[in-house]
Amino acid sequence: MSKLSIISGIFLIIISLSAIFAPWIAPYSYDLQNPTELLQSPNLNHIMGTDRLGRDLFSRILYGARLSISVGIFTALSALIIGTIYGAISGYIGGRIDNFMMRVVDVIYSLPDLLLIILITVILGRGWISIFLALSLVSWVTVARLIRGEVLRLKELHFIESVKALGANHDRILFIHILPNTLGILVVTLTFRCAAAILAESTLSFIGLGLAPPFASWGTLANDGWGAIKFYPHLTIFPGSAILITMLAFNFLGDGLRDALDPHKKV
Amino acid sequence: MSSNLVYSKTMKIKICITAFFILIFTSCNIAETKNSNIFRMSISTEPPTLDWSLATDGVSFNVIASIMEGLTEFDEKLNPKPAIASKWDVSGDGKIYTFYLRKDVFWTDGKPVTAYDFEYSWKRLLNPQTAAEYAYFLYDILNAYEYNSGKIKDPELVGIKAISPGVLEVRLKKPIVYFPSITTFMVTFPQRKDIIEKYGDRWTEPENIITNGPFKLTKWRHEYQLILKANEKYYNGKPKVNTIKLFVVNERNTALTLYETGDLDMVSLPPEAIPSYREKSEYKNIPLLRGYYYGFNVHKKPFDDGRIRRGFAMAINKEELPRILNGGEIPTDSWISKDMLAHNPKIGVKFNPEEAKRILSNAGFPNGKGLPPITLIFNTDPVNSLIAENVQFQWKRNLNVEVKLDNQEWKVFLKRLKTDTPAVFRLGWGADYPDPDNFMTLFTTDSGNNNTGWSNKRYDELINMARGEGDREKRINMYDEAQRILLEEDIAIIPLFFTAQNVLIKPYVKGLRLDAMELLYLKKLKIERH
Repeated sequence: MSKLSIISGIFLIIISLSAIFAPWIAPYSYDLQNPTELLQSPNLNHIMGTDRLGRDLFSRILYGARLSISVGIFTALSALIIGTIYGAISGYIGGRIDNFMMRVVDVIYSLPDLLLIILITVILGRGWISIFLALSLVSWVTVARLIRGEVLRLKELHFIESVKALGANHDRILFIHILPNTLGILVVTLTFRCAAAILAESTLSFIGLGLAPPFASWGTLANDGWGAIKFYPHLTIFPGSAILITMLAFNFLGDGLRDALDPHKKV
Repeated sequence: MSSNLVYSKTMKIKICITAFFILIFTSCNIAETKNSNIFRMSISTEPPTLDWSLATDGVSFNVIASIMEGLTEFDEKLNPKPAIASKWDVSGDGKIYTFYLRKDVFWTDGKPVTAYDFEYSWKRLLNPQTAAEYAYFLYDILNAYEYNSGKIKDPELVGIKAISPGVLEVRLKKPIVYFPSITTFMVTFPQRKDIIEKYGDRWTEPENIITNGPFKLTKWRHEYQLILKANEKYYNGKPKVNTIKLFVVNERNTALTLYETGDLDMVSLPPEAIPSYREKSEYKNIPLLRGYYYGFNVHKKPFDDGRIRRGFAMAINKEELPRILNGGEIPTDSWISKDMLAHNPKIGVKFNPEEAKRILSNAGFPNGKGLPPITLIFNTDPVNSLIAENVQFQWKRNLNVEVKLDNQEWKVFLKRLKTDTPAVFRLGWGADYPDPDNFMTLFTTDSGNNNTGWSNKRYDELINMARGEGDREKRINMYDEAQRILLEEDIAIIPLFFTAQNVLIKPYVKGLRLDAMELLYLKKLKIERH
């Protein structure tokens, strides 16, 4: 693995740990307002400055990481599970059922993601669950396509034929012999999906469909700061950078993992 | 590689040509704005209605004030002076006002403005079928309340009568000293019966509307722009500015950017921008006769219990709010606005977090435990969000109560207030005329703008008495008692602060009058060459 992807991995571990332990690491609470310290630029007491209500931005970003990263990971995982099962079944059975299942995917795929997500959050209301559901519902289709393709390829290989000849049933073939071989793709997809989900959640929060105050994800923070970017740029720059760096890290890690797990490259 | 180079050369030529056209296009645009006599400003929302019997909000009233005129108008010191009425007489007992109308005032379709148009409009406002929230504005008139509440059916019994096209006679229940101030207000402006009956709900659309003010509405592209043109037939002479463009810009920061790029001539400043502009000559700060408050729905749990309302009111330190808003707001515990008769800062529930906690625990909710979920609802606006987030935090800090926040668009919010009033909501009240009566009648039982569901007989009685009271001291005492009932005994609302207007106006805009009532007087406006 390249150095860059290792650094990215370490960075992501650190950020996830600090999200988990935010209450111990953050110097202030995420909703603590100090009316005497409004809109301070970064300084020793507040290393990322304070916002319009005198809340410490660093603490809010730490707490925001909890929401942003957990949404990212959980959405990616659920998309992966749904997508893998769906794609594997579709690819393995093949024929008419495959054709039908893939057309369903096409239909969902053809709808604009953001529009669907907005619709779902509007129906379900604001909250962690609805963001998570909305993002999962739209992001499993990409995974399903990937896995189906891979399963289609794998099931024609000789070792599967041998397993069949030995009398293994379909469940066994699919779950013991085919799916483990897609693991490489799965891990790589997971990292890329995480990045995409974090960005999608930020977008959603940025346009005002995120969590209700005082909770804030990075997208919400960036949105709060956006109005004042001319006068208090630190309010946008820090949450924006947090999103950017995390996205980059996930992508580098994904790249690294893909190279590392590619059997052809190893040789 | 070489082919790439050739390609990039053609690209360069293309870019040059495009740039050239963009230059021509933009310079044309600049030329247009420089030589034309246009005033451009932003409004924060689409006006919910331009029907002045039904309007209740500042945006609508500002547009209506530019296209219409009434019997009287305010001078710079906020005293009523003649407008369409050239003069008025008051009978010896103070109960009959006779307005004499000018003969040279015309509607935009050329017909003269008559006393009949006033009679029609006022009776339409009072007609129960119109369901005007401002109907109570005319309750001082004989039988007006009875007609509006359905006790009498015959509008002829109401004390409004056009004696002749030029004379309007108004009979009051009792002497009201400030009645000519009431007639400055938009809901009392005349209306054309023929137009309203012909077009129904669509009579306020630009192709149908007939007005008599300095400007006329020529275009209304919903959610985008309203265009007003100078009215040649205006009786005080055609205004100097030809065109007024009102752009609907929800985001104040967007509006500020438009102002800076020269696409707007006036803009209201978002709080975070105020410190950066405070020293500039374009910056104007105008304290307003406008209160900002949180109202309770006194029928909804948990605020049906007066003790809970008191606890919540006591747990807000209002001093924190102006620091956040930065625009010269004045924190307040009392309701009648500063610079108004009977303003009394001593009245109202004072900040006392310990006492607030004690009250809540005495009411059965020690340390805020056991309260049903509470959602504070406000209309979408960055200022409202900031205040709500601060109050949310203060309630958590001082009472250990978690309140949820939700915001809605202005039109939706207004409807929600009428149909399903939230347990606690934000509203503001700007003076329609500079008299405490205007702030206090708001919370009487019959007021259409009282969304709290609160009703108190003694309060209604006091407001009613104070309205006709000629003696200043007695009147102040009545208002003091009424304010104590509203704010200290029953606590239907929590006043938070009096607002101020913070605007930037381009130096070439002259003659713009902004007053404490938040109204824009555009008729004397002049745009200098720039």
